[in-house]
Amino acid sequence: MNQSLRSCLLFALLSAFGAMCQAADGPTMTISGFGTAALTSTDTDDAEYIRPNQARGVGKSPRTGVDSNFGLQVTAKFNNSFSATAQGLVRKNANDYYGAEMAWAFLKYKMNDDFTFRAGRMGTPVYMISDFRNVGYANTMIRPPSEVYRQVNGGFFDGVDVVYQHSFGDTTLTAQFGVGNAKTKTPGNSYVEFKPVTALHVLVENGPVTVRFGRADAKFSVVNNTALNGLLATLRTVGLPQVAEDLKVVDVDGSFTSLGTMIDYKNFLVQAEYAVRKTESRVVMDTTSYYAMFGYRMGKVTPYYYYGNIKQDSPRTYAGLPTTGPLAGLTAGVNSVVKAALQSTNAIGVRWDFHKSAALKVQIDHVKPKDGAGAFINAKPGFTGPVNVYAVGIDFVF
Amino acid sequence: MTTTIRVTLLAAALWFGAAPFCAAEIVVIVNPKNQASRMFSEQAAQFFIGKSTLFTPVEHNEGSAIRNEFNTKVLGKDSAQVKSIWSKLVFTGKGTAPKEYASSAEVKKAVAGDVSAIGYIEKSAVDDSVKVILTVP
Repeated sequence: MNQSLRSCLLFALLSAFGAMCQAADGPTMTISGFGTAALTSTDTDDAEYIRPNQARGVGKSPRTGVDSNFGLQVTAKFNNSFSATAQGLVRKNANDYYGAEMAWAFLKYKMNDDFTFRAGRMGTPVYMISDFRNVGYANTMIRPPSEVYRQVNGGFFDGVDVVYQHSFGDTTLTAQFGVGNAKTKTPGNSYVEFKPVTALHVLVENGPVTVRFGRADAKFSVVNNTALNGLLATLRTVGLPQVAEDLKVVDVDGSFTSLGTMIDYKNFLVQAEYAVRKTESRVVMDTTSYYAMFGYRMGKVTPYYYYGNIKQDSPRTYAGLPTTGPLAGLTAGVNSVVKAALQSTNAIGVRWDFHKSAALKVQIDHVKPKDGAGAFINAKPGFTGPVNVYAVGIDFVF
Repeated sequence: MTTTIRVTLLAAALWFGAAPFCAAEIVVIVNPKNQASRMFSEQAAQFFIGKSTLFTPVEHNEGSAIRNEFNTKVLGKDSAQVKSIWSKLVFTGKGTAPKEYASSAEVKKAVAGDVSAIGYIEKSAVDDSVKVILTVP
C-alpha cells in the first residue's frame, strides 16, 4: 500500500475510533496530539546529518525531514481499572518519506494504587526519555543526543509489562519491567529483530532530583542486510568461517545498561545519561556513551548546553587478517564493519515557551567525528568534519 | 453617601478587583468521604504533577488566575513546566491529564461527586459538600 495513504488511513481510523466511542455511552475518550515542525541544515555537503536510523539526512540546504514529526493519541477509559491507548506517529525514519507507525496500542489494567499491568504494543524503556523522546514539547533539547540514543534502535515492543509505583515518604519509586518481541526496520530492506527483549526501568524521584537506572537484554538478529550477508558469504568461501562467525548477527545476545539523572532545581536544569552496550557480535560493537545537558530557566526562555561522546570498547580492527595480498580488500571490508561510529558533540540551544501549548527551539550542534565519518551518512571520501548542524523548530501539544 | 466617597469606594473595589486572587485564599479540597484530614503543600502537589495517582486531581482551566496562583504557590512551577510534565505522562500512556473546569463551583461539584478527587477553590466558595485539607498560605 502507498505509504501516505497508509498514514491517512491510520489517522482516519484513530479519529473514527475516537468519534465512535464518544458517541456511545461508555468509555471516556481523550484525543491528544503532539508534533514538531522543524528545519534542519548543516555547513557541509560532504556528508549527511541524520537522526538515528534515518535513511536520508541533511546537508547545506535545509530540510524538514530530520526533526519534524506528528503524533496522535487516543485513550479510552472504560472504568477506574481498565483503559486502552493507541498512538500513531508520522515521521521520516528508515525510509525517506513521512511514514506512519503504530507507536503504541495497549490495554492497561490498574490493579491497585501500586501495580499496573499492560499488554499490547508499548514503548521499550531502553533510555531515560525513551517514552517521550518523540514529544519535543516534553523535552528541553530539540532532539535526543544521538551519541547515546543511536545505540539501540527501535521504540516499541509487542508484549506485556508491569509497572510498580509507590511513595516512601517524599520519595517516589517507579519500577517497570517488560518482556516481548520487537522488529525495527532499518534503511534498505533490512530489519533488526529482538526476540525476546526484556527491559527494566527504575526511577527514583525525590523533589527536584530524579535518578534512573535501565537495563535491557535481548537476543537479536539483523535480517536481510545484503552487504553484511555478502561479506559473510565471501569470508566462508575463502576459508575464514571463524571470522564470519564473529561477525554474524543471528540470535546474538546483547545488553544495554544505563544510569541517568534529571534535576529541575529552582532555575537549574540538568539531564545526563551514561550507557554501556555489550553484544556477542563484532558488528554490533561494545560501546560506552554519555551526555550531559545543563539549562537555566529565565522565565519563558531556557538557554541550554550539552556535551555528548561515545567510545568503542571492542577492538576497532579484526586482528590476524592479512593486510597485503589478494585478501587485503576483504580485510578492509571486515575492519569497516567492526568500527563503531565515533563522535562528540558540543551543542547550544534555547527553548522559548512563547505560547501555552507551544515552544520554539533553536539549536546549534558542533559535531566532531573521530576516526571515520561518525554518525554521518553518505560521506564523501576524506570527510572528517567537524560539522555544524543548525535546527529551528516549533514543538506543540494539544 | 456622597458621590466622592462612592467613587472612592468604587475605585477601591476596582483596584482590588483587578487582582482578586492576591486577596482570596486558596484551599485544597477533597470529598467528605475521603480518609485524609490534613495535608502539606508538598503532598498535595504530588497529585497535580502526576507523581501520585492515589487521588484524582481536578483542575481549573489553563490560564485562569487561581490556577496560575496555585501553580506558583503550591507546585512551585510555571504553567509551561506543568504542561510539559503532563505531556510526558500523557504521551507515554502513563497518565491522563486532569479534567479542567471553568469555575470554583464546578471544581467543587466534581470533587463532591468523586470519592477519590482532589481539587482547590477559593476559601469563600467552600461548603459542606467538600472537605478542606489544606489552606494555602
